[in-house]
Amino acid sequence: MGTEAAAMAQGAEHAGEIVHYFPTEVLPGVVINMQTMYMTWISMAVVLVLFLAAARSPKLIPCGLQNVMEFFIDFLNGLMEGTLGIKGRKYMAPFIITLFMFILISNELGMLPQVGVHWTSPTNDVNTCFGLSLTVAIGVYIVGVCQHGLGHFRHFVEPSPAFLPLHLLDQITKPMTMALRLFGNILAGEILLIVLYRLAPWVVPELWVMFSLFIGFLQAFIFTMLTLTSFAVAFAHH
Amino acid sequence: MIDFNATLIAQVLNFLVLVFVLAKFAYKPLLKMMDERKNKIAGDLAAAEQAKTDAEAVKAEYAAKLAAARQEAHVIIDNARKAAQAAHDKALADTKAEQEQIIAAAKETIAMEKKKSLGEVRYQVIALSMAAAGKIIEQKLSSDEDKKLAGEIVDSILK
Repeated sequence: MGTEAAAMAQGAEHAGEIVHYFPTEVLPGVVINMQTMYMTWISMAVVLVLFLAAARSPKLIPCGLQNVMEFFIDFLNGLMEGTLGIKGRKYMAPFIITLFMFILISNELGMLPQVGVHWTSPTNDVNTCFGLSLTVAIGVYIVGVCQHGLGHFRHFVEPSPAFLPLHLLDQITKPMTMALRLFGNILAGEILLIVLYRLAPWVVPELWVMFSLFIGFLQAFIFTMLTLTSFAVAFAHH
Repeated sequence: MIDFNATLIAQVLNFLVLVFVLAKFAYKPLLKMMDERKNKIAGDLAAAEQAKTDAEAVKAEYAAKLAAARQEAHVIIDNARKAAQAAHDKALADTKAEQEQIIAAAKETIAMEKKKSLGEVRYQVIALSMAAAGKIIEQKLSSDEDKKLAGEIVDSILK
């Protein structure tokens, strides 16, 4: 897979592109960006390995990896209890923890040195970002209906029916802004890194990598926070 | 750069699979362990608090008992001291009384002995004087007036 990706990367460089997704028609009429797919699977594998290794034999007195993963879980649990409440936390914990860790690992993946494998962030693909934000948006409806029945949709006409157009607009703009914010930040970071390597190959790109690593964490946190505020509606008491 | 295709659906599926697998195999044991730890720490802290309260109660009880024991010891020592003082005073008084009695008896005896001795001595002296005077008088005097005069002289000497 790595060598294949590297070969693809070389082919793309020859074609004069800066960022490349290698869209491939896997079935007639079905086009999939294979670079994004590979990187997504690597991110998934990293997240899976981290959590499965930590959870293989959990100890009452944690050490090493278990400590690290529990730090993330605890951090997210605190955020969830603040926005969703205790009940909401128990319900949403797997989704939120996975979302944060997946976006975090995805964002940092593109900052790895380009040795052997052409590393990119899966989140530099607009499809990934919209896939995640739409999952969240639709997930809010599903969880809301599961929690409150059709009464969940009552919040569209609160505090007065005049707010209905605003709420409807919000339902469309929220997933769009979430996806585009993540996509724009990560793609811009990678493009700027490539440009900096061509402009000033020493020191400067490394400084940008450091900053981008921080941005990767920040964007994962922002996406998770916005997801939590979206889900807060589904657990609110009417 | 922005073209939507089937990747979007694939990514949604990828993510949902990841959520499902992690929820099933990773989060359950981890979250359970974290909850267990939380409960254990809370329980241990409560137990420690309880133990502390108990220890303080026992300590207070011991302090009270110690104070009571000390008080009792003081009372006992005081009583003993008073008893000893009383016994000492009584013994002293008894001894003094006995001593005085003995001295008085001795004085009486001495006085009596003295009186008796004096009587005897007087008698002897009178007899002796009489004998001596008799011898003298036999030669010079022999009247009763002379005898009387001699007795008066002896008395005045013995006084």
